[in-house]
Amino acid sequence: MGKQYEIPLGAQHISLLEPLHFKFTTENERIVDTQANLFYVHRGIEAACCSKFKFRQVSFVVGRVCGLCSISHSTAYSQVAEKLVKIEIPRRAKYLRMLVIEMDRIHSHLLCLSHVAENSGYEALFMKTMQYREFVMELLEAVCGNRIQYDFSIVGGVTRDLKPMVAEIILKRLKIFLPQLDELMDIYKNNWTLSLKNKNAGAITRADAMRLNVVGPFARAAGLAVDVRNETEDLLPWKEVGFEMITETGGDAYARNILRLRELYISKRIIENIIHGLPESPLVTETKAFPDGEAVARIEAPRGELFYYAKGNKTQVLERLKIKAPTFSNVAAMVEALNGNEYGSAPAIIASFDPCLSCTAR
Amino acid sequence: MKSFFKALLNIFRKPVTVKYPSEKTFLPDDYRGLIGFNEDLCIWCRRCEMVCPPGAIVFSQDLEGKQTYHFSRAVCIYCGECVRACPKEGAIFQSNEPANFAVKESDINNNWNRLFDEALESRIAYAAEKKRRAAEKVVAAKKEEESKTVT
Ligand code: SF4
Ligand code: SF4
Repeated sequence: MGKQYEIPLGAQHISLLEPLHFKFTTENERIVDTQANLFYVHRGIEAACCSKFKFRQVSFVVGRVCGLCSISHSTAYSQVAEKLVKIEIPRRAKYLRMLVIEMDRIHSHLLCLSHVAENSGYEALFMKTMQYREFVMELLEAVCGNRIQYDFSIVGGVTRDLKPMVAEIILKRLKIFLPQLDELMDIYKNNWTLSLKNKNAGAITRADAMRLNVVGPFARAAGLAVDVRNETEDLLPWKEVGFEMITETGGDAYARNILRLRELYISKRIIENIIHGLPESPLVTETKAFPDGEAVARIEAPRGELFYYAKGNKTQVLERLKIKAPTFSNVAAMVEALNGNEYGSAPAIIASFDPCLSCTAR
Repeated sequence: MKSFFKALLNIFRKPVTVKYPSEKTFLPDDYRGLIGFNEDLCIWCRRCEMVCPPGAIVFSQDLEGKQTYHFSRAVCIYCGECVRACPKEGAIFQSNEPANFAVKESDINNNWNRLFDEALESRIAYAAEKKRRAAEKVVAAKKEEESKTVT
């Protein structure tokens, strides 16, 4: 047994954007034990949602939990609130929500991929991925009016309609995006340098993934078919718009890259289907009811299952709101997956988990 | 080898980055920008103030009952809820002019919280004044009636 060293990484680290602290016990460059330390950025959002804001305003507050999956948070909250006030939203609003969620998935996945490339030391690929990602940010801006904080889902429906002109631009841009996506797929799959850093790095077995209750692309890359889009049909009709489950078997950073890229093809197909088959109906179901009772809602955010619990007591202000972010489910498995790897590849592995601490710590 | 030539070619290509903020970026027509207010159309129902999540709109009121609209572009999150809630179309509207980043002191949250509290206080003061006037009226009416019954 060699000499063991303890090496910290984070909370603010040059290659790790998230305020997450890892303490690695290493032995000959190899990580033998990992400790993760979270919750540096507690902002008290849940408490604010239950005291300061009325239940209709909360969808704007939770939209600011995270800059990347803003729409997932506000949609999940809207669904929970709709259950509490017992309304069904119009069909068109459902489709528009799915449209924005899938566009959000494209930008989130590409961001994660670019970070993996950057943390593996491949700056040029980082730039390229970011360049290809830009179009979807512009489209989101055209659909929702803002690049990051979309404020698209509200209790009862959505705030804006999809203009025919914008729909046309989306279809056109997706056509240009397809060869770019093929190109990215080629690079992430076949680039030799990148594969040295990513193949067999941060691997987790299917059994471990199941035992540790992993969600999202992390789980699907390990061969576990878990996806909220596959499980719930009542709130958003995912199957109708062409959802398809994708799994990879490797469980390492490489498999996660490929899984994310393959999911983008599905997202592209879903967006096209939605635009071609957008049903006509009003955008919002109006109601004057107050939230009453308890409800939960789940949604597949780009990083995995997002879970919302809310409790109302027939007043304007909620009694309790609980958010469980996908990263929170994944932390235990992240620690597991890091053990046995070289310390030098830790940044790339951490980026490939796509941790989102602003969601988790709130 | 192919990528090497590609890299050489890239020296002569136009960069894809935009020199923000000196260059303007892409802005869609219905970008969610600054909130504008049209006093002539407003019916002073204060619905916009009620729905605004961060409290970026507040109405103050003087003792005569005249209301004044205040808006803080630093507090506003540009969600557009006020526009959706307004019963009079055009009284409050969202322009596609982006809010400036704060470079001057006057642009940051300049005493907004104090202004907000003062506005609420001014409304309480107006309500109290209204009550007082109503009471005065009642008293005056009673006196008149009394004087009538006496004669
Ligand atoms: S846009 Fe939103 S935050 Fe801004 S004033 Fe209107 S309601 Fe308030
Ligand atoms: S909601 Fe419209 S009409 Fe009512 S106070 Fe606000 S701007 Fe005026």
